[in-house]
Amino acid sequence: MAGGAGSVAGRAGGRAGLASRAWAGRALSTLDPLRLAGAALFLALWQGASEFASPIILPGPIGVFERAAADFWSAPALSYFGLEDASLAGNLLYTAENVAIATLLGTVIGATLGLLSSRFWFVRAAMDPVMMTAGTVPILIAAPFLLIWFGVGRASAVSLVGFYVVVILYISAQRAALNLDPIYENYARTLGAGRRGMLGAILIPGATPEVLGGFRIALAGSWGLEAVAELLGSQTGIGKVIEVLAGATDPQGILATLLLLGLAAILADAVVTLLIGRLTAWRDPKA
Amino acid sequence: MTPLARRRELAVSVAVFLALIVLWEILSLVYTAEAQPGEPMVAGWGTLFTRTLLSLSDYWQGGFGVKSVADGAQRSYLAAILSLASHSAATFVRLISGLLLGGVLGVALGLGVSWSRWSRRLVELPTQFLRTLPLLAMVPLFQLWFGTYFFGQVLFVAYGVGVIVFAGVVNAVRNVPQIYLDNARSFGASRSQLYQTVILPAILPAMRSVTLLSLGAGWGAVLAAEYLGAQSGLGYIIVYAQQFGLLDRMFLVALLFILYTSMSYWAIQRLFARLLAWSPAEAAQ
Amino acid sequence: MSMAAPNPRIIELVEVGRAYTRADGQAVTAVDRVSLTVPEGEFVCLIGPSGCGKSTLLQMVAGLIEPSSGAIVVDGKEIDGPGGERGMVFQRDSVFPWMRVIDNVEYGLKCRGVDATQRRVIALDYLRRVGLAHVERAWPRELSGGMLKRVAIAAVFANGGRVLLLDEPFGALDYVTRHQLQDVLLDLWEEPGRAVPTVIFVTHDVDEALTLADRIVAMRGGAIVDDIPVRAERPRDTDSLLMPDMVAIKHKLLGHLGLERAPGRAAGRRARGESAA
Repeated sequence: MAGGAGSVAGRAGGRAGLASRAWAGRALSTLDPLRLAGAALFLALWQGASEFASPIILPGPIGVFERAAADFWSAPALSYFGLEDASLAGNLLYTAENVAIATLLGTVIGATLGLLSSRFWFVRAAMDPVMMTAGTVPILIAAPFLLIWFGVGRASAVSLVGFYVVVILYISAQRAALNLDPIYENYARTLGAGRRGMLGAILIPGATPEVLGGFRIALAGSWGLEAVAELLGSQTGIGKVIEVLAGATDPQGILATLLLLGLAAILADAVVTLLIGRLTAWRDPKA
Repeated sequence: MTPLARRRELAVSVAVFLALIVLWEILSLVYTAEAQPGEPMVAGWGTLFTRTLLSLSDYWQGGFGVKSVADGAQRSYLAAILSLASHSAATFVRLISGLLLGGVLGVALGLGVSWSRWSRRLVELPTQFLRTLPLLAMVPLFQLWFGTYFFGQVLFVAYGVGVIVFAGVVNAVRNVPQIYLDNARSFGASRSQLYQTVILPAILPAMRSVTLLSLGAGWGAVLAAEYLGAQSGLGYIIVYAQQFGLLDRMFLVALLFILYTSMSYWAIQRLFARLLAWSPAEAAQ
Repeated sequence: MSMAAPNPRIIELVEVGRAYTRADGQAVTAVDRVSLTVPEGEFVCLIGPSGCGKSTLLQMVAGLIEPSSGAIVVDGKEIDGPGGERGMVFQRDSVFPWMRVIDNVEYGLKCRGVDATQRRVIALDYLRRVGLAHVERAWPRELSGGMLKRVAIAAVFANGGRVLLLDEPFGALDYVTRHQLQDVLLDLWEEPGRAVPTVIFVTHDVDEALTLADRIVAMRGGAIVDDIPVRAERPRDTDSLLMPDMVAIKHKLLGHLGLERAPGRAAGRRARGESAA
């Protein structure tokens, strides 16, 4: 048994080594040859099908990738359709901004309401029926109303996506708080903790992992909702680009745009997952 | 929860519900602006179920002995009911066709891919990629490829549902506890008996949440398809009315839509409650 | 059921081995060239400390795991995967939760295509024997752990296999239930009028092995370290286990499990006035 500080440092280093080995293991499993072969096969079949079909119907993957790269920084054709920003990057940025605002605002509101509903019964009684109904109805039903009230522009899209996020986070936060093992609160009480102390030290950290999980789910769905909100009534953004390209019968352009949208969603998800991992590093991975 | 607490909660929920109804009525009295003469923006409950309902007869194409308003007939409650019924039917048929097509294909492909460990890993990356592509952003693409009529709409719904069901089935089969498979094999079950008697029942609990997710995606997909280029259906009415600012009609149809979606969720829950009578988790609910 | 002459070598393990590489690259030998012959109708207990390979060995006989080397021959045929002639009772609950109790007991018969009325008769008979006829229509989630184990045992016997494999089946149950089920198992095993099944029963409980077995095979580190016949008459109660020959066997087994103290140490400690460890 080694002594004192040396062993602590050794154990910390060992744990870091274990974590990086786990990450490497996961990365390697994604790169496993069979999965990669599957992806390559998919692309090959797509390319093959596109050779037989006319380019108007099914553009091939190579063309789509090239188009996405070419139009990313500058797509002059878009300005002919009245788009303010003649580049995929600019419109993607607009879409991403709206998604960010809506998810952050919606998370704060939804999670707060959800946590409150877990501790105050009248909040729960008042909000649950509203939230549960909102959970069954497609959020798109609100889109035309928002368009009339806020007109065409950021506000209607952000509020649409925002409502969506609020509902998801409300449900996640409530479930997280209600499922929190009562043993932690009982333990804190035996140590003399008061109500407020428990809120900060137990409820919020305890519910955080599941709430952040809800955030990830809400974020994933926000991209499509934002895109369709733009499709319905916007002068800019990825949705508008898709609408314009559809009108010009340009499936290659649409696929290229969708590709970028998908990549943006994947990138955002990866960043968020990393941050969540940091914030919840205390979690027992086996639990 | 004690019976007292349950009654308390119910009382508050009902109170909130009633308060919203009253609030709406108050708003309609306060905010009397009209989008068009005779078409109030915030229609009180009385107006909604009389004048607004009547105005929905505008969407009836004619038939069954009731002439359409476009042909000069008077608005009537019969025409309004007929128009609501026919447009609801249009929406339902699209939804159900899409759900069935996507569901059946998703289950068949999901089970097929799960047959061997190789095939599952082979399709994993393309499936994940297709799942990240936002469904609702793909409406114009489907319209381009398959047209804006019934075929294109059903295919769109089926695609959205199919991707969810496929991924759900593959995941569920993967998570079937090994002990049940071992147990069945130790009784001498063949491969196909294994699928029938173990795998299919064992994935039912997971299929409940997959079905509810698909239902949500299905409703959203139908609505999006109807918003963006249909000529019939409840979504079509809403978006058509929106172009004229006819908020009251939009609101009435939206209420009906909410009723339909809630009923569909309730029906699915009841269905699975019966199918999962054996499940210990079921008893806990 | 045919009453053919008992096969003196119904289960044969010939140099059976199982090796694999761990996630960190280390090679592990779970089972190290084990050879064992079991005559038909014998009740063998496999005993050993955690990680000695007894469960792995059993799963290979069941056909759920493939041996890395050697051959396993059951009733003259080398085995290839699991099969109804080698029924298995697991430690965890294996009863299918989506089937009622009676359907679970009929399961093996159904797989083999036995017709419905005959299946029902056989299944009800075995349910009665394990004392669960009154819950034939119940869902497994309504039953206790002990009752589920009875269902599993009834199902395996109803299937009529010549070989029975049990992997620490009573390990998760409380003391009382465990002893009740040991009686249930022996009752079914010694049932008159049918060929006595050959049993391999894995356990780490020495008393359980002494109560049940005709023969106790001890394992350690993947290999067989002892093979002890148990000749006491059944049923064996508390007093039977206190007979001198049984106590001697128990000492041997405890020694293999690493639980026997060296005789001098305790006396020495008492002499020095230290408390017993």
